[in-house]
Amino acid sequence: MEQTLVAEAKDAPRTADLAFDRLYRSSRDDVYAYVASLLRDAPAAEEVTAAAFERAYRKRNRFDPERGEPRAWLFGIARNAALDELRRRSRQAELAAEPADLESFGSAESAEHSERRLAVSAALERLEPGERELIALKYFAGLANSEIAHVLGISESNAGTKLHRAMTKLREACHEYA
Amino acid sequence: MNTPRDDQLIADLRALRPAPRPQFAAKLDERAAAGFPRRSRLPRISLAVPRISPRRLLLPAGGLAILAIAITTAVVAFQEDNNGEVHLSMAGASRDPVPAMQQERATGATQASGAAESVEDASAGIELNFSAARLRQRHVERSAQLVLAAEPGDVAEDSRKVFEAVHAHDGIVMRSSTRQGAPGDAGARFELLIPTAKLGDALAALSAIDEVRFRHESTADITAPTANVSELLQDSKARIDSLLGQLEAAESESEREAVESELRQERRHRALLRSELQHLQRRAELSRVTLRIETGAAGESSGSGTWGVDDALGDAGHILTIAAAVTLIGLAVLAPIALIALLAWLTHRAWVRRERRRVLS
Repeated sequence: MEQTLVAEAKDAPRTADLAFDRLYRSSRDDVYAYVASLLRDAPAAEEVTAAAFERAYRKRNRFDPERGEPRAWLFGIARNAALDELRRRSRQAELAAEPADLESFGSAESAEHSERRLAVSAALERLEPGERELIALKYFAGLANSEIAHVLGISESNAGTKLHRAMTKLREACHEYA
Repeated sequence: MNTPRDDQLIADLRALRPAPRPQFAAKLDERAAAGFPRRSRLPRISLAVPRISPRRLLLPAGGLAILAIAITTAVVAFQEDNNGEVHLSMAGASRDPVPAMQQERATGATQASGAAESVEDASAGIELNFSAARLRQRHVERSAQLVLAAEPGDVAEDSRKVFEAVHAHDGIVMRSSTRQGAPGDAGARFELLIPTAKLGDALAALSAIDEVRFRHESTADITAPTANVSELLQDSKARIDSLLGQLEAAESESEREAVESELRQERRHRALLRSELQHLQRRAELSRVTLRIETGAAGESSGSGTWGVDDALGDAGHILTIAAAVTLIGLAVLAPIALIALLAWLTHRAWVRRERRRVLS
């Protein structure tokens, strides 16, 4: 009996593995969305997303819950991976935004919706990369302001202020398109 | 089209959220389930520098470090043994004189012509004896320790034989003490001076008195200090000759007094040098031999020459000292390298952070 329990305990996934599995399942698409918005290159985004998860998995035992939320930690890793990729390629300035996929907006949606989203997409392109990143972290990845602050290494209030400015700028850009 | 409201804008943004391809998502899920096995994304790096976990490197690295310490320790110990002293030890030897004794005549020890007394007689003309040819001769100081095992009833007889053997080889018994008693208590101790030229024969004779429990011989080359003092002595003699010439040529009383004062000083210096040279010569010509006669089992008496726990502790301490010294030297070498590596790492890290900030600005 005792032997069985010991064997089960050995075979049971470790707590860190379980926690990471949960984190992966809840963050996979969010990380991809954030990285893709930074890189604006789908194949590269896939590569970097996979690399970020791999790196996080290797470091999972070093994660300290006292230093922040797991999602903030994961997005920090993803951000570094994406920025390293941008540095490596030196394509940040040259990269043209991928054209918005009109079909992806859905044929069922009204023309007004499609037109509006095209305008938002174009307005996003006019934002500074840092502003685009803030919006991606907030609305693509769904991070809270405190998590954004942790990822960017700034204070929470500063993150909120910057996000507000970015949204204001985006709204203005949309207005110009309208 | 109107400017979107906030909720509309947020909804539009969320609708614009890039979504992963299902194939990519499925593949990533597979990799997650497999524990993210390493990919050869950078094959050139993977081939050039195989990624080995630090834990796996720990064992061979530790082995290498121990090997390095062991080699260094052996080298240091070997150098210590060969640095001016040569030890020939034999524990538990038989009564028979060892053939190695025959070699001692060929070691180049200064050949002494007589006993200790004759050394004193020869002192007057000692500086003249050191010709250039003689300076080239090696001057080696030799010493020996001998421990004999005897029955308590044989101690007195063995002691008598020791005196006989010493006198037969023109040696001197400097100190002696004999104890009678039970096994372990009874014994004798002698401090002898034996002419170096006869040391081999004397040791053979002493070893034949009873069972040899321990014998240790050592040599120390004192050629350099002997030659140095001899040269100084010759210089001093030349200086005295010169001063004597000056004294003869002195014309005034004050000049004569000054030369005489200098002459007295130089003669004192010469006497000191001569004494020092005699001492060195005596060390080369007369070998110091310590002889003990012990009774009882070999392990009962301290310092019997057999290798015991005390010796083991001493050896262990010696090895640990050397190992600590080697480690200290290693740290002294590694510390600056580690500091440079740390600075390089910090600089690189700062540079990467700056570049990451720049890439988004």
